[in-house]
Amino acid sequence: MLELLPPLNDHNLPWMDTIHPIVVHFVIAMGLITFVFDLIGVVTRRPALFEVSFWNLLFATAAIFVAIMFGQIEAGLANPYGASRDILNLHSTIGWSLAGVLSLMSGWRYVIRSKDPQQLPLAFLGAGGLLSALIVLQVTLGNQLIWVYGLHTVPVVQAMRSGLV
Amino acid sequence: MAAFIPAGSPIEQLAADLGTNGLPYALPIHPNLVHFTIGLFVIAIAFDIAGALYPVEKRVFRFLALPVTRGGFHDVGWYNLLACAIVTFFTVAAGFYEMLLAVPLPGVTSSIGLRSMETMLVHGVGGVVILLVIVAMTVWRGYQRFVWRRDMGRQVQWLYLLVGLGLFLAIGLHGTLGAELAAEFGVHITADQLLASGADLKEALP
Repeated sequence: MLELLPPLNDHNLPWMDTIHPIVVHFVIAMGLITFVFDLIGVVTRRPALFEVSFWNLLFATAAIFVAIMFGQIEAGLANPYGASRDILNLHSTIGWSLAGVLSLMSGWRYVIRSKDPQQLPLAFLGAGGLLSALIVLQVTLGNQLIWVYGLHTVPVVQAMRSGLV
Repeated sequence: MAAFIPAGSPIEQLAADLGTNGLPYALPIHPNLVHFTIGLFVIAIAFDIAGALYPVEKRVFRFLALPVTRGGFHDVGWYNLLACAIVTFFTVAAGFYEMLLAVPLPGVTSSIGLRSMETMLVHGVGGVVILLVIVAMTVWRGYQRFVWRRDMGRQVQWLYLLVGLGLFLAIGLHGTLGAELAAEFGVHITADQLLASGADLKEALP
């Protein structure tokens, strides 16, 4: 499979920079803002915000599949070491699970919106809170892979190639 | 040539309070706030484009049996941009705090040919300029929504969308510089800083 990709650079990537962290902008920001807008919409009784959350949630759901695609390729090229191996495994598992959770929530939200776009059941707000917690956990794990273990950074790739890691 | 360059860096004053990553906490904050700035801005403009092109695409949505309103698209364009403008003040503030504590690896030239100080100066000033443009666009967007175009179906001017797309490009370049500060200059990355100090990652980061 690997010969299908362009040659690897000093980030051990077939492209200039990691793409996964760019795509996850849309999952993280849209996923969390959905909950924020839902909360403000319920508290201040502004149903217009429910429509804004609906579209943000739909976009987060579309984006997570692209994020997983690039995430899997870049994880496959990451050469994790030490404890980062376990973190990467957990990050992948939660990532796939989030795709399921987001898809289910999008479907549920579509039904709610079709029935009455002016109302949001509190159960959905609760689910949004749980989704936010899951996203924050997932972001923390991803943060550790880059900011602690430096996967795909030039110095770590260099050390890896000279057998220091 | 600067007239006076002292031997020690001012960061040494805080050395006792900073971790291996050069920060007084484990994970940097700025890159996490960036998710919101970029995500909210891009989606805001994208939905205003969808609202502007509504007459073209409404057949597609009818075909998909997805009930949509033009006003709903423009609501996303407005509220996401408003949230973006608010968050971005914190993105820039956290960025400056963490850049003041940055210790980029010496002797590195980035893949677009800049050295660390040049990259940080452009990224720092660029960040403030982007914040100013986002705030100006939010005011502009507000005037379109509540004053100039409040009774019109298309809530935004074409020029507004064009400026938004222009800022996509600027943010893309700006983000690349930020990514290079991390992945090439090793700023606030524990493993990179450990390697630069000559540590063995097998022992230091088991």
